[in-house]
Amino acid sequence: MAGEIVERVVRYIASEIVDNAEAVEVEIIEESDSEVVAEVRTEKSDMGRVIGRRGRVAKAIRLVAQAAGDEEGLKAQVEFLD
Amino acid sequence: MEWVEAHGKTVDGAVKAALDELGLQSKEDVSIEILQEPKRGALGLFGGVDAIVKVTKVQREKKRRRRRRSGGDKSNSGSAGGGRSGGQGGRSGGQGQGSQSSDGGRNGNSQRSGERKPRGGRNEGGNRPKATGGGGGGSNRQKGNESGGASRGKGRSGERSNSRNQDRKTEAPVDVDINEQAEVGKEFLTGLLDAFGLEGTVTTRIDDEVLFIDIAGDQTEALVGPKGSIMNAVKELTRTVIQRKTHDAPRMRVDVGGYTERRRAALGIYTSKLAEQLLDDGGELALEPMNAADRKVVHDSVAGIDGVRSFSEGEDPRRYVVLSLEDGVKPRKASETSSDEVSEDDVTSEEE
Repeated sequence: MAGEIVERVVRYIASEIVDNAEAVEVEIIEESDSEVVAEVRTEKSDMGRVIGRRGRVAKAIRLVAQAAGDEEGLKAQVEFLD
Repeated sequence: MEWVEAHGKTVDGAVKAALDELGLQSKEDVSIEILQEPKRGALGLFGGVDAIVKVTKVQREKKRRRRRRSGGDKSNSGSAGGGRSGGQGGRSGGQGQGSQSSDGGRNGNSQRSGERKPRGGRNEGGNRPKATGGGGGGSNRQKGNESGGASRGKGRSGERSNSRNQDRKTEAPVDVDINEQAEVGKEFLTGLLDAFGLEGTVTTRIDDEVLFIDIAGDQTEALVGPKGSIMNAVKELTRTVIQRKTHDAPRMRVDVGGYTERRRAALGIYTSKLAEQLLDDGGELALEPMNAADRKVVHDSVAGIDGVRSFSEGEDPRRYVVLSLEDGVKPRKASETSSDEVSEDDVTSEEE
């Protein structure tokens, strides 16, 4: 399935950073044959951790997700949703 | 060493901006060097120049805590950048304003202020040649930078109030074992490789309180990215996870397949080439935007080259290094030709 690596990577990273790993949800939306968006949901209190000050952590997650996308020939974006 | 330069209407404002940039809250954690005192413009309304400060993160968190009681040691301010501003004072005399700044000097470190020519005007100078290329992987850098800019600022309040303050509150912080932190980092990265489906090994090494983590393996190049952008992201995440799980993060370096050393070597060579070009032709050269680590490599290389100086301009993530000749250094080519070409001779002498 397209975006499998992206999903696994994003889920793994998010779970490592939050308090409540159980509540982490990652949904892959296929925008096109070559593009996916990973939608990340966490518990409200954990969102700050996943985004980080000045969005540093979110930025890092986006970059690593791009690398994960490259592995399967996809452009990958990440969206953080409340 | 982590440091940033920041601008502001006042020294205080600039320091605040710099602290923000470094993710620190207190001036206790940094040493402050005032690169330029702010000046009011005519009638206190127009013109004027911003304050520019260089703020350097002081050593390790643990040491800092101990020192705080005993009177602090802010005095070892940015010695790293010292000396590069040279004596430009004589030239700017025409403006008359001298150094009557409004609220400068309160930090004690201002002995160098005023020596430095106001740099404001140079910023948007426009017609300086842009050097492109840079030690490797030139073209598709934008990807990374853009996504960062967009997401800035969102999460500020979140993490600060949640984790940071709470961690600080706990009295007498337990000295976290760096070996344990190394183990946490290793575990995280091993899991990350796994999630990627990559074969690789993660090794850690501790040297002088700094945690070195190396990732090696056949396909791990995927974790380097254009100009090491992915590698830096991986480092950021590793730091976050360690901080999260041990309530403290050590100083650390993450390397993938020896990339850091290759990048450093390539940047060093690139910088010396540009420096040679400058020594020949004079002028200024702006390099493309780089992250702080790369800028430091460039500054360090320049520091070893006589006659050339370097400084940074612009705001992260598009902050870049500018190389120029030190004051009083004449470009080689100009001085060669000036003897036979009268017109050029005139031009150069007018400048003096």
